[in-house]
Amino acid sequence: MSVGEIRVEINSDQDIVIARQKGRVMAGELGFSSGDATLIATAISELARNIVSYARTGQIKLKGIHGSSRSGILVIASDDGPGIIDIRQALRDGFSTSGSLGLGLPGVRRLMDEFEINSQPGKGTMVAVKKWRQ
Amino acid sequence: MKTATRRKGKLENFEEEYRSALREYAAGGGEVALGHAYELGRRALAEQLSVVELASLHHHALIDLVRATEDKQQKEGLLGISAEFLAECVSPYEMAHRGFQDAVKALRQLNETLEEEIKRIAYAVHDEAGQLLVAVHLALADVALGMPEAQQAQFTRIKELLNEVEKHLRRYSHELRPTILDDLGWIPAVRFLADGISKRANLPIHIDATVSGRLPTTTETTLYRIVQEALTNAVKHAKASNVWIRAWREDFTQCCSIRDDGAGFKMRHGQGTPRKGLGLVAMRERVSAIGGTMRIESSPGHGTEVSVRLPLEGNDANTNRTRG
Repeated sequence: MSVGEIRVEINSDQDIVIARQKGRVMAGELGFSSGDATLIATAISELARNIVSYARTGQIKLKGIHGSSRSGILVIASDDGPGIIDIRQALRDGFSTSGSLGLGLPGVRRLMDEFEINSQPGKGTMVAVKKWRQ
Repeated sequence: MKTATRRKGKLENFEEEYRSALREYAAGGGEVALGHAYELGRRALAEQLSVVELASLHHHALIDLVRATEDKQQKEGLLGISAEFLAECVSPYEMAHRGFQDAVKALRQLNETLEEEIKRIAYAVHDEAGQLLVAVHLALADVALGMPEAQQAQFTRIKELLNEVEKHLRRYSHELRPTILDDLGWIPAVRFLADGISKRANLPIHIDATVSGRLPTTTETTLYRIVQEALTNAVKHAKASNVWIRAWREDFTQCCSIRDDGAGFKMRHGQGTPRKGLGLVAMRERVSAIGGTMRIESSPGHGTEVSVRLPLEGNDANTNRTRG
C-alpha cells in the first residue's frame, strides 16, 4: 500500500494531538508494531512541543519512505521561529529542562533511527527524523 | 517533612488526573486521551515518580475502572485499552532510559581513554625521561675526564642525585600504571603502591587482603584507582597516621575498604561525597559504570572510610547482554 504525504499545521496543543494521531495511523498502515507506533507518536509530540514552545507556529510533515529492502516513516518538523544558536548544545542532555531528563531533541534522536537538524538564528528550524520498520 | 507532604499532595493530584484520563480513554477519548497519557508520563518523570510507582498507580486505577464497569464486553475491552494507555504514559521513561544507557556507555569509553592516557604518560616518564638521564650521565662522564681531584667529590654527589631522580621517576611511573597490575593483579599492585607511599610519607599502611585468582581487567583497574585515590587523600588532606586496607569476597561481590584515622571531613548532606575532592566523585562514576556501589563515611576528627562493592559475575559481558 502506498502511503502519501500528510501535513499538519502546528499552532496549539490541540494540533499536537492531531499530529500524533496522524503519525500513529500512518505508522500502523506502514506495518509498524503498536509499540513502535507509540514511540513514533512520542517523537512527534516532542517535535511539535518544541514548535509550540519556541516558534509558536510551524508544521509537521509525515511521509512513508521505501528503501530497496525496507520501509519506514519520515517526520519533518519545520518552523520560522527564532532558530537555534548552538545546535550541538541543543542536542546535549541537560541543556534544557526537558533535556536533563533525556527528553526533548536528545530524546527524539534516541527514539528514531536517523536524525537531521538544520537551523540558523532568525531563520527557523527544520528537524527531519526517520524510523525504519524492524 | 514539608517536601514529603508536598510530594504526597502532588501525587494525589496526579493519581486523580490519571484516573480521569484513563476513564476518558476507555470512553472512546482517542488520541486526545492518549496525548493526555503522554503528558502525564512526562510530568511523572519530571516529578521523579518511579516507574514502579507509576505501574502500581495504573494497576489500582484499572481495578477501580473494571469494578465500575457493568457490561461484560466493555469489561474485557478494558484490558487492551489500559495497556495502550500505560504504554503511552511510560514512553517518556523509555526516552530517559535510552539516555541513561548512552551516558553509561560514554562514561565507560571515557574511563578507557583515561586509562590509555595514563599508560602513555607512565611510558613517557619511564622510558623517555630515563633515556635522557642516561644521556646526561654520559655527558657528565666526559666532563669528569679532565676534572681536578678536588672536584671529584662534588661530581660524585651530582651523580648520586641523578640516580635518585631516576629512581623516583621509575617509581612514579610504576605507580601511575604498574606493570604488576597487568602481570600479577591488583593486590600485588596495591602492595607495591602502599609500600612506596608508606616509605615516602612515613605512614603505616596495614593490608589485609585475601584474593583468589584474577578479576576482569576493568574491575582490577577500578579497584587499584580507588585505593590510589583514597591513599592520596589520606596523605594529602587527612594527614592520617594509620591506614587500613581490607579486601574480601562475598559470593559474587568483590569488596574493598580503605580506612584512615586522619582529619575526616563534614559530609555534604545526602550526597555522600566531600564538598571538594573531584577525585572521589570521579571514582564513584567509575564504580557505577561497572555496576558497583561506593560508600564514603567520614566526620571531622573521626577519619574516613571508603568502601566499594563490585559485582564479579560477567562484569562486562553481562551488562552488555542485558542491554542488547
